[in-house]
Amino acid sequence: MARVVLKDLTKRYAGGNLAVDRLNLEVADGEFVCLVGPSGCGKTTALRMIAGLEDISSGEVSIGDKVVNMLPPRDRDIALVFQSYALYPHMSVYDNMAFGLKLRKTPKADIERSVREAARILDLERFLDRKPGQLSGGQRQRVALGRAIVREPAVFLMDEPLSNLDAKLRVQTRAEIARLHQRLQATMIYVTHDQVEAMTMADRIAVISDGVLQQVGTPKQLYEEPCNRFVAGFIGSPSMNFVELKVQREDGMRLVCEGTQVVLDDAMAAQLRDLGLEAATVGVRPEHLRVGEPEGPGLRVSATVDVVEFLGNDALIHAAAEGRDVVAIVGADIHLAVGDAVILSAAPRHVYLFEPQSEMSLGAR
Amino acid sequence: MSVAEAAGLAIPVRRRRLSIHFRPSRLVLNVVLVLVAIFWLVPTISLTVISFRPEGLFGISGWWTVLTAPSQLTIQNYETLLSTGFATGGILDSLVTTAAITVPATILVTVLSSLAAYSLVFGRWRGRTAVFLVIVALLVVPVQVALIPVAQLYDAFGNLTGLKLFGSLPGVIIFHVAFGLPFGVFLMRNFYTGIPKDLLEAGRIDGAGEWTLFRRVVMPLGLPAAASLAIFQFIWVWNDLLVGLVFLGGNPHHTLTIFLFSQTRTLAANYWVISTGAMISIIVPLAIFFSFQRYFVRGVLAGAVK
Ligand SMILES: Nc1ncnc2c1ncn2[C@@H]1O[C@H](COP(=O)(O)OP(=O)(O)O)[C@@H](O)[C@H]1O
Ligand SMILES: [Mg+2]
Repeated sequence: MARVVLKDLTKRYAGGNLAVDRLNLEVADGEFVCLVGPSGCGKTTALRMIAGLEDISSGEVSIGDKVVNMLPPRDRDIALVFQSYALYPHMSVYDNMAFGLKLRKTPKADIERSVREAARILDLERFLDRKPGQLSGGQRQRVALGRAIVREPAVFLMDEPLSNLDAKLRVQTRAEIARLHQRLQATMIYVTHDQVEAMTMADRIAVISDGVLQQVGTPKQLYEEPCNRFVAGFIGSPSMNFVELKVQREDGMRLVCEGTQVVLDDAMAAQLRDLGLEAATVGVRPEHLRVGEPEGPGLRVSATVDVVEFLGNDALIHAAAEGRDVVAIVGADIHLAVGDAVILSAAPRHVYLFEPQSEMSLGAR
Repeated sequence: MSVAEAAGLAIPVRRRRLSIHFRPSRLVLNVVLVLVAIFWLVPTISLTVISFRPEGLFGISGWWTVLTAPSQLTIQNYETLLSTGFATGGILDSLVTTAAITVPATILVTVLSSLAAYSLVFGRWRGRTAVFLVIVALLVVPVQVALIPVAQLYDAFGNLTGLKLFGSLPGVIIFHVAFGLPFGVFLMRNFYTGIPKDLLEAGRIDGAGEWTLFRRVVMPLGLPAAASLAIFQFIWVWNDLLVGLVFLGGNPHHTLTIFLFSQTRTLAANYWVISTGAMISIIVPLAIFFSFQRYFVRGVLAGAVK
């Protein structure tokens, strides 16, 4: 078990491509941290630098209070689960899991015990003699996990381990990995582009965009207090609605544009006044919009219903407000049809304000 | 088995459900294939039959008469040819000489090509592509242009070290290895490029060094390509006449091809020796081919990734 510290970790590829830009992150011993961000943002590169598969351009990686920059992967006490599984196709499931232990000259009996134990945990006992080619995707995935487990590494690294599974299997394996983490109490760094995975499994999430760390926090923190527009839009599904509004100072502070207005409460108004802003980006999550006029201050949108997607308990509404698409989740008991005019509103505590240039959150709640 | 198949390249297995509905065309296809196969086999069959007929019959009746008069078959030719035993210059001596050249030349080319290809594909040094291109360029160098320079090189080497390569088996082996390597590296490199890099990285994390990765991961996966390379190289060296003729100059031990070739020169119509000797000389490559065939397993990479 060990903690992992990344200090100004940077990767510049040969072509000058800055894939990871001064990443700072501390992962506590036994913690489950997700690196999440859109495809191509540098998650894999960061993970590979931690694993020792990619040269570090600058910065530092420490595992268990030891700087490991110059150590080869095998001396870093880590295990990596590849996105592609990377199982040895010519070896049986048993040998796939045992390979690392054999190379470490572990006694045969110990290898046997570790592999059988891992196979039991992962429900692979029946497949130990098979080759990877004779397994289904989910089973291969579990073998890849098993190969990591038997090594009992200080740190588990996983690169989108679920992305090749179908939706149902993904949910199942997600729970399996979460259980595994509880059982092993190991430090885990898990890379994914799927914020749902991150939200459901992680102790803490690090959101990355374009190689730059945006925010680190618990799932709840990221959901409730996103530090900027990117994080606000990335975390949560369906993603947050955004609209650019102008400041209007007649009869109380308001933010307006055609069809949409926000009547600011005192705290928000004061903040906008202090910053002297003439405009702001307003964000509101679909699940925080409700049908009807606002009670007191808050956001009000008048729109026309475009699409209604029935989800069972709720319905997902796409509505057009002066050419902008607004998404809302409303109770299925509210009957709306395509073409209906609708007023959507949200309470001030659910309205997020962002500085339009920097896109940083104004912290108003 | 084509090179592509041997190298394990993806050749989709077509499930032709249509064929169920068109049995007649399938029958025609099979008949045509059988005919082609027979046509292809005729020279081999005739050679076989000639080698089992008495020497005197050659100019009198055709080999196909054996179909109506099987009693003419005899193993007398083989007895005569083999009766000299391992005497220098005899056929068994030539067989041993050829094997002593071919086996090391084949093993060396296969192993060295695999090692070179590993470094070219998975190494992390600069200029790998340039080196590979130079090797590809070497593919077009004809053997003939190298004969004299290499002979001189051997001479110079001999003067310098006292080791005589010209006229010796090692000299022939080295020449064959040098000329087999470009194609070998080319073939193995192209095959190794298809091995996912993830596999090697997984191995590195599992604790494998380069040598272990080569031996435990890459080499087993490259077996189909190595097997086809070994077969090509074996047959090429086994059947070589030119290199042996030039570089064994003065050596009393001959290769099989030289043995056969000398028969045509000394006695224009010594067909019984040629046919019988040819039969003996093709048995080994055939055996090699069939015993290596089981390594042509397609789809060895199945299940590695995804
Ligand atoms: N070997 C490489 N050489 C050059 N650029 C690379 C290499 N690998 C990845 N990149 C680039 O680095 C960026 C980050 O890639 P990656 O870490 O794979 O992203 P992610 O895993 O978040 O999808 C991308 O723009 C990608 O094109
Ligand atoms: Mg990736």
